Amino acid sequence: MANVVLRSVNKQFGEVKVIKDVNLTVEDNEFVVFVGPSGCGKSTLLRLIAGLEDLTSGEVHIEEERVDHLAPSKRGVAMVFQSYALYPHFTVRQNMGYALRVAKESKETIAKKVNDAASVLQLTEYLERKPKALSGGQRQRVAIGRAIVRDPKVFLFDAPLSNLDAKLRVQMRIELTKLHRSLNATMIYVTHDQVEAMTMADKIVVLRDGKVEQIGAPLDLYNAPDNLFVAGFIGSPSMNFFDGTVINTSNTDVEIDVKDSVKIKFPLNEPSNLSTGDKVSFGVRPEHFTIGNTNQGTFTGEVYAVERLGGETYLYLYVGDQKEVVAHMSGDQKIAIGDMVEIGFSLKQSYLFGPHGDAVR
Amino acid sequence: MQTKRNAGYEAWLVQIFLIATTIVVLYPIIMMAMSGFKTNAEIFGNPFALPKSLNFDNYLVIWNTTDVPRFLLNSTIVTLASVAILLVTGTMAAYAISRYRFRGSIMVSLFFLAGLMLPLRLAIIPLFIQLKFMGLIDNLLGLIFIYIAMSLPSTVFILTGFLRALPSELEDSARVDGASEFRIMVEIMVPLITPAMVIAGIYNAVPIWNDFFFPLIFIQTPEMKTLAQGLTSFFGEYSVNFGVLYAGLTLAALPVVIVFIVQSKRFIAGMTAGAIK
Amino acid sequence: MSMTNADYEKAKRNRTLKLKLWLLFLILPPAAILIVFVFVPMGSAVWYSVFDWDGLVRKEFIGLANFQDILFNPLKNKVLFNAFMNNVKVFVSLMLVQNGIALVIALLLARNPKGYRFYQVVFFLPVILSTVIIGFQWKLFLNPVFGLVNKFLHNIGLHDWALPWLGLPETALNSMLLVNSWHWFGFPTLVFLAAIHRIPKDFIEAARLDGASEWRIAREIIWPLMAPAITIITVLTFIGSFNWFEIPYIMNGLEGSPAGSTDMLGLMFYRTAFGSVSAGGSNFGSGSALAVLMFIFIFVFSIIATKYLTSREVEMN
Ligand SMILES: Nc1ncnc2c1ncn2[C@@H]1O[C@H](COP(=O)(O)OP(=O)(O)OP(=O)(O)O)[C@@H](O)[C@H]1O
Ligand SMILES: [Mg+2]
Repeated sequence: MANVVLRSVNKQFGEVKVIKDVNLTVEDNEFVVFVGPSGCGKSTLLRLIAGLEDLTSGEVHIEEERVDHLAPSKRGVAMVFQSYALYPHFTVRQNMGYALRVAKESKETIAKKVNDAASVLQLTEYLERKPKALSGGQRQRVAIGRAIVRDPKVFLFDAPLSNLDAKLRVQMRIELTKLHRSLNATMIYVTHDQVEAMTMADKIVVLRDGKVEQIGAPLDLYNAPDNLFVAGFIGSPSMNFFDGTVINTSNTDVEIDVKDSVKIKFPLNEPSNLSTGDKVSFGVRPEHFTIGNTNQGTFTGEVYAVERLGGETYLYLYVGDQKEVVAHMSGDQKIAIGDMVEIGFSLKQSYLFGPHGDAVR
Repeated sequence: MQTKRNAGYEAWLVQIFLIATTIVVLYPIIMMAMSGFKTNAEIFGNPFALPKSLNFDNYLVIWNTTDVPRFLLNSTIVTLASVAILLVTGTMAAYAISRYRFRGSIMVSLFFLAGLMLPLRLAIIPLFIQLKFMGLIDNLLGLIFIYIAMSLPSTVFILTGFLRALPSELEDSARVDGASEFRIMVEIMVPLITPAMVIAGIYNAVPIWNDFFFPLIFIQTPEMKTLAQGLTSFFGEYSVNFGVLYAGLTLAALPVVIVFIVQSKRFIAGMTAGAIK
Repeated sequence: MSMTNADYEKAKRNRTLKLKLWLLFLILPPAAILIVFVFVPMGSAVWYSVFDWDGLVRKEFIGLANFQDILFNPLKNKVLFNAFMNNVKVFVSLMLVQNGIALVIALLLARNPKGYRFYQVVFFLPVILSTVIIGFQWKLFLNPVFGLVNKFLHNIGLHDWALPWLGLPETALNSMLLVNSWHWFGFPTLVFLAAIHRIPKDFIEAARLDGASEWRIAREIIWPLMAPAITIITVLTFIGSFNWFEIPYIMNGLEGSPAGSTDMLGLMFYRTAFGSVSAGGSNFGSGSALAVLMFIFIFVFSIIATKYLTSREVEMN
């Protein structure tokens, strides 16, 4: 069972707290993705698991064994870096075999494992080349190959695809998913790319400022974000937020007055502790707007930009007092700049967040 | 700066000036080499003519009857040993300073850089007493140690710059691969700075090979003299035989000139390394 | 048997300890060499200067008497002043002649003339040669009777010009300065050249488009942007000038002959410390005092010069 467990993990660089009390369980064979804004501590967390940084406090367990006192190589992890970190003076073969050579494996074993990994990654014909003579995608494969060869319990990826162009990125994304399935390995993956996170992850961990904001399956985060931050972070373009004030509450719904605009009666599944006068945020995802009035809620705005991609259309509107709103429609919409448009939404596909940003459901 | 080739009379003026300078630089060197093949009579009678024949007599005199071959050997030993140990120890210090965060790391690097500011020549008296005490007077080892110490600061300075520029992900990657700190340094990181090591090596090897001051004071027996220093006694001995003197100078210049011509790019980069940022 | 929390802490401490030992292993050998052969002797030089010495034997503490002796003993301070002024002359002359020529040549090479690489290599060739070789070579060339220089002058009919160059107080030092310039000019040339190459092309092209004259471009763009290189060369020339020893020693000996016209602080230091005809027996006390004075002077001046020159530099970023 190659699971990974973090218990109250903290990391400080000097006086700066970079990781704050992170608790996390990664199950065996799970593909977990860390996302969050730049500088939130994703790489640091990964490096703590790998053993490249020492914990300030807390525990790391891999496969039911505490490992935070062990050197990186004793933890059974392999890591793929953003810059690939291939050894420039080694050939592909030497790069892939280095860990085995250090571990004093026999020449035959090394050759066999390297050849096997190379054929999986279609690198066989490049084995004798130096990294400089490879394309970006090939280098990426070598970096992955170097990890595979070691047959680790856990793979750690730090934004491995971010240096590739868009097309290669899609291709590698699919290959990595295949690889995950065929290797049956636990993988932890850091990315800036929403699509990578949503498509590859069994579970996403959203980090902000060194703290875990929410952990969950991709669609759970999308459908039921715990707070304003996760709601804004997951989904692209981001969710539209409207300032509002509570004007009435009951056990089944809250009535809010959206600034400069409409009044909404938001249905509750669970009791809220909102009270009249509270400042709240009301959210609607761009893709959940439809053109025209719905009975549940409608904004009227002036279109100031339109992006027509044929299969889909993005509308940018000013609602109320210059409030910028994005709406995403499928198909081509015959709408021009300056038009006044009504965009509607359904209450089931809208979100409410209390004064401290917590979701109201 | 200006990449286009200049045309017209301006370009000609530039060329004339540069060619004149070239003559001023090369002519004395050529004269020195040529005079080495001449007899005294030729030098005094016909100083600017080509030598009558490619006459190696002067070189034979040097090879057979003087200590110059011995001096050559001593200089070679001193230079190679100093530079080799220098590069090993300099790399060690530079590696520690540039690749690890530890308390006092700034102090350590200041300590090594402070050496850049200290003209060791002015400490020649205490050095003399100290070497005497250590039994290193009249001993090539004494010179070797002094040269290493003298060259360490610049070596650490040059290598630190290059080592810092290496991505830390390489090191991390090797660490995950299970390599020890020693292996990471020797197998992964140091091979990547060999060009810098060549530069640092040349930067220090040339002054060491050419040095005259320290041997002048620390070496007294003829068998231990280095080339630059040995030339002085050689000059005393052969003060009237100009042909032999010129041949001796040529011979002394030859090794460095050959290496320079083969490796001129690295040499220039190396020797100006301290002055060009 | 499972590990306790204390065991984990111990394992971690062991890892840190191992890392510390590794760092010590890296730092200690070079540091030891530097301490033993640079820092201790440099420190001792100061220490020694306040003692009376009898040969290699240190006698009693005498305070600043050695300094007083060098600076105010009328016999010695005349020599000191003469040598010092000669060093000043060396510095000024080398700045003007050696570095001036270098600057001109660097500006010419920056135009990327045909044969650029060749010229670079040729001009650098003397730099790599030992000062000893060059000193002796030119001593032979300048020999009043057999030297090539005078033979050449006779050949072209300038019989009156054929002087004993190294033998006359008026010409000895100048001859040596020319030899030194011949030896070293390639170094500042390439440093200046590198600095010129680092000036962004856009700067110059923009100025040309604005209609600035070449002279203005040189003066207002190239020159200020070369300031860092000029600072470095000035400081290096200064240090070299006040440590000047090899050329005068080889060409005219330890006494700075003729008539002290080529005497330098370096020669005086050597004579004082290790003895000579004029200075008598070796005197480590006075020698150390002189070394300390020279060190302080060179150090302070270098710092001031660097500060002053750097403050005039323009930031290129
Ligand atoms: N060695 C270090 N010393 C001091 N601070 C550090 C160090 N490494 C990282 N940090 C700080 O820790 C914080 C988290 O860095 P980290 O690299 O983990 O962010 P990240 O989430 O990976 O960002 P990105 O998405 O840009 O890669 C940053 O504020 C960074 O400046
Ligand atoms: Mg990162």
